[in-house]
Amino acid sequence: MEVNQARKSKKKGKLKIFFGYATGVGKTYSMLDDAHSELRKGIDVVVGYIQPHTKPETIHLLDGLFALPPKVVVKNNRSYMEFDIDAALNRKPELILVDELAHTNAAGMRNKKRYQDIEELLNAGIDVYTTLNIQDIESLRDIVQDIPEANVKETIPDYIFDKADKVALIDIEPDELLNRYGEKIILSIDNLRLLREVTMRKAADRISNSNQNGQVLSAEMVRTKFLVCISSSPSAEKSIRWTARTAEAFHAPWIALYVENMESKYLDVTEKESIQANLDLAEVLGAKIVTLNGHDVASVVAEYARHSGITNIVIGKGRNRKTLKGLLEMDIENKLISLLAGIEIHIIPASNVQRSYRQPRKMHIKEDLFLSWSDTMRTIGVLFGATLFSTGLHSLQFGNQNAIMVYILSVLFISRITMGYVYGIAASALSVLLFNFFFVSPLYTFHAIQPGYSLTFLIMLIVALITSTSTVRIKTQAHLAVEREVRTEVLYEINKKLLVTRGVQSIVTLTNEYLVKHFSCSTIFYTHDPQVGSNGSLMQSAIDDDASFMLSESERAVAHWVFFNQKQAGAGTDTLMGSSAFYIPIISQENVLGVIGLSSVKGKLNREERLLLQMITSQVAMALERQYLSDEQRQMLIESEKEKMRSNLLRAISHDLRTPLTGILGASSAILENSESLDKQTQYKLVSNIKEDSQWLIRMVENLLSITRIKEGTMNVTKTNEAAEEIVAEAIRRTRKLYSNRKIVVKVPDKLLTVPMDATLIEQVLINLLDNAIKQSPDDSEIEVEVRKDGENAVFEVIDYGEGIAEEDFPYLFESYVPNGKRSSDSARGLGIGLSICMSIVRAHSGQMSAANKVRGGAVFQFKLPLEEVIYNEQ
Amino acid sequence: MNNKPLILIVEDDERICNFISAILTSNDYHIIKTNKGKEAISMAASYSPDLILLDLGLPDLDGIEVIKTIRQWTEIPIIVVSARGQEQEKVEALDLGADDYLTKPFGTSELLARIRTGIRHSPKGVNVGYLESEKKTVGDFEINYAKRLVSIAGKEVHLTPIEYKIIVLLSKNIGKVLTHDYIMKEIWGPYTNERQALRVNMANIRRKLELNAAEPKYIVTEVGVGYRMIEGI
Repeated sequence: MEVNQARKSKKKGKLKIFFGYATGVGKTYSMLDDAHSELRKGIDVVVGYIQPHTKPETIHLLDGLFALPPKVVVKNNRSYMEFDIDAALNRKPELILVDELAHTNAAGMRNKKRYQDIEELLNAGIDVYTTLNIQDIESLRDIVQDIPEANVKETIPDYIFDKADKVALIDIEPDELLNRYGEKIILSIDNLRLLREVTMRKAADRISNSNQNGQVLSAEMVRTKFLVCISSSPSAEKSIRWTARTAEAFHAPWIALYVENMESKYLDVTEKESIQANLDLAEVLGAKIVTLNGHDVASVVAEYARHSGITNIVIGKGRNRKTLKGLLEMDIENKLISLLAGIEIHIIPASNVQRSYRQPRKMHIKEDLFLSWSDTMRTIGVLFGATLFSTGLHSLQFGNQNAIMVYILSVLFISRITMGYVYGIAASALSVLLFNFFFVSPLYTFHAIQPGYSLTFLIMLIVALITSTSTVRIKTQAHLAVEREVRTEVLYEINKKLLVTRGVQSIVTLTNEYLVKHFSCSTIFYTHDPQVGSNGSLMQSAIDDDASFMLSESERAVAHWVFFNQKQAGAGTDTLMGSSAFYIPIISQENVLGVIGLSSVKGKLNREERLLLQMITSQVAMALERQYLSDEQRQMLIESEKEKMRSNLLRAISHDLRTPLTGILGASSAILENSESLDKQTQYKLVSNIKEDSQWLIRMVENLLSITRIKEGTMNVTKTNEAAEEIVAEAIRRTRKLYSNRKIVVKVPDKLLTVPMDATLIEQVLINLLDNAIKQSPDDSEIEVEVRKDGENAVFEVIDYGEGIAEEDFPYLFESYVPNGKRSSDSARGLGIGLSICMSIVRAHSGQMSAANKVRGGAVFQFKLPLEEVIYNEQ
Repeated sequence: MNNKPLILIVEDDERICNFISAILTSNDYHIIKTNKGKEAISMAASYSPDLILLDLGLPDLDGIEVIKTIRQWTEIPIIVVSARGQEQEKVEALDLGADDYLTKPFGTSELLARIRTGIRHSPKGVNVGYLESEKKTVGDFEINYAKRLVSIAGKEVHLTPIEYKIIVLLSKNIGKVLTHDYIMKEIWGPYTNERQALRVNMANIRRKLELNAAEPKYIVTEVGVGYRMIEGI
């Protein structure tokens, strides 16, 4: 309940950070001091968490403040004191104090990081005070890291700092700090000064930023857009931080680009992890992440930069890359410069030098050396064939140059039909040797007497090598393209299907089907807050043994968290990672439309899968949004229809009721007041008039009552199977009571016709139609009623032999209210609202109603009711 | 001692009560009146009327409750008065032991006919042996229970066993409305739902007995409630 209220008000809490350059400058002290003055103002202040090893004078300040007991988590026989987020949310104070913003929670807590706890508090509308050291800001990490003693493990993303409502800079002279806690401070005075400077500058940046926010940015600034290239190299991390800081200073957007090429396939686990980590880092620092495929990194980057209006490219560079390949190939930065004239390129050197440049190459070779028997056999086979063929040519006195061509052709073949570079390269070398052995005199030795042959061998080797590598490259590129194609295909297909899907349930089913098929894991789809509404729609994948755990209370709580906080959570994320599934919110225009959960029992989703899931989710969000809009529209249409019907009815009633009531009042008062003077015959006539008027009124009221049987909202009725002849018989019997002298001829089918309907309502329709027919035709004429089956419908007809319907009446026949003067006959005792009610009833049965004139005079009123519904449960 | 039948009218609307009393008094009935459900129960106990005319909408007690209480100790015929459109309420009342119902608004002749039928079916009436007769005749229709024979204008009508059972049931309760559930229970036994079978059987019976199935003379449909065999034509 509280949760909902907080969301309704949408009031977010305010964050104040007490910011200092080192431990001991007095952040916690100032925070508590501030809290006391807030408390004196009458604010409800609660201490959420204060580091237990804080100095005595600080602990002293805790007196008089209410402190939440810390949550004790036991892990590996050690107990950890942690901030109790749930207790804080339940207590819901106006202001809460939580020390150490950059703290990493013990495993088993809901969130991995304390700043996530604090974001939750802010979302719940609670103001937060917290403390932060300069080195804990993510983008400053590398600057601070140059100071060896500053041990940085726990950081916060920059946006937390940037979004803080207030930052209080807590500062003392480094000398004094050393005086105070000399023995405890491990940093040298110089480093303390450096940190202090960085801190001051960061604080100053913040002020200048907030000053600039109001100004109109110059055109130059608006256009600035950074792009940082990401690789697995250690320099990448530094480049990312550098770009983040610079982009921040320029207020420019920035993009982290990772180019996937064939080498990516040979990366080992650590390298893949480091790329993943770099991409995550960039995302945390506020970058947009883009992944592209292509062989030549430089040209892919250049093309992307050109198309997306990048003005600055940042690349990291290892310092010692003096390899053979390095000599042969142009460096990426040089290539970029030659490809992109107008773009600035920034090169960030790697700071980390421990890593040997040989390491990655070794890895590649190892991967490439992966041999398979079938590929080896193929290589040998092709080379054997080539040798045989060349021998044949040789015996036919064709020149040796043909043998060279045959070998090169065989290398090309081998590169095509085998995996990786190994076989191509091996085949190149082997074919040179084979050529030498079989075709160069002296034959069957590896010696070559003629001097020109060494050049021939060299050229042959180079040609063979280039052929093999470029073939492999084309193959890999084709492979990557296929992979990308598959992804696009999935997205395109789901989008196409979603476009034609109607109804929330169908969207859910379709999405679930796709996710199960594509990710091969069970999925769950909530279209509302998981903790409020009913169960989500679970779809189990064939490979999962049992997905019912996803319906458990704890999983539901995770989904609820995601729904409420509009963030991904669960397995593989930083929040609620104890869950066995990954949850992603479906967000459209800042509204959560639902939550999708994917079981992670068979393995967590990797970055790419999550990205794809995100793209699918946004498609689903669009589809849901569209659905809700059209639902809303339909609801509004029904509403207005209902409203129209109601007001028309009211107008018609007030008009129709007045006449008979006037008649009754007049006749009865005439009798009461003039009983002496009126003769018996006149009195009798007046009383029968009263009776007639009352009967008319009763029928009118019954008509009105029947309207209330039509369900509000859906404009539907409760149907049961009824025998058509019984209903017709009853309607005629009731009509006969009033008009005993009229002849009514009925025809019903010989075979029993069962029609789903609300019997009372259809009886009412028939009575109205009979009543109408009797009134519109001469007393001595017949009335015909016929029921028959016509395909999928039951047809009811009421026929009279009167004057028929006047041409000008047709447009208003089934309207309850007719603009003045448009109805030709005296309406007071005539049709009244009867026909319009008939129409409403028939429509509510999904039937049709029509009226026509007969050629030989008289009118036919006909209505059809659908037969298709089979109703089993009748009671 | 006069042997005019005594009718208890339970009706909260004074005007309706007035006109019913006027009609009944002028047709040789004694009447007692009340507008409260609890009072109706105690009056039924102390006066032991021949018939109770009960409006279901009472200010202090639900009419349904009145029927339940009275039925615990007496079989006095009860005719329920209720409005159209409340079929469910009527069915409930009939299933709880009410003998018949009248739909508002009703005419004088209808009221008197129902009261006559009600009194005739009362336990007092049964003692006279009215229902034990060997055969029964309505217009051209005749049923002979001993011979298990049904005829229209002297011509024998061939009925299936089920159809015959239904006809017997309706004719023994002639003039009274029987609910669908009651008929189904009597014919097919409890815990069955043979609504469609009943409907089909009724349609067949009508085709055998009536001239026009859509204008039945003998067995009429009470929409949403059940069937009734007409007493006198």
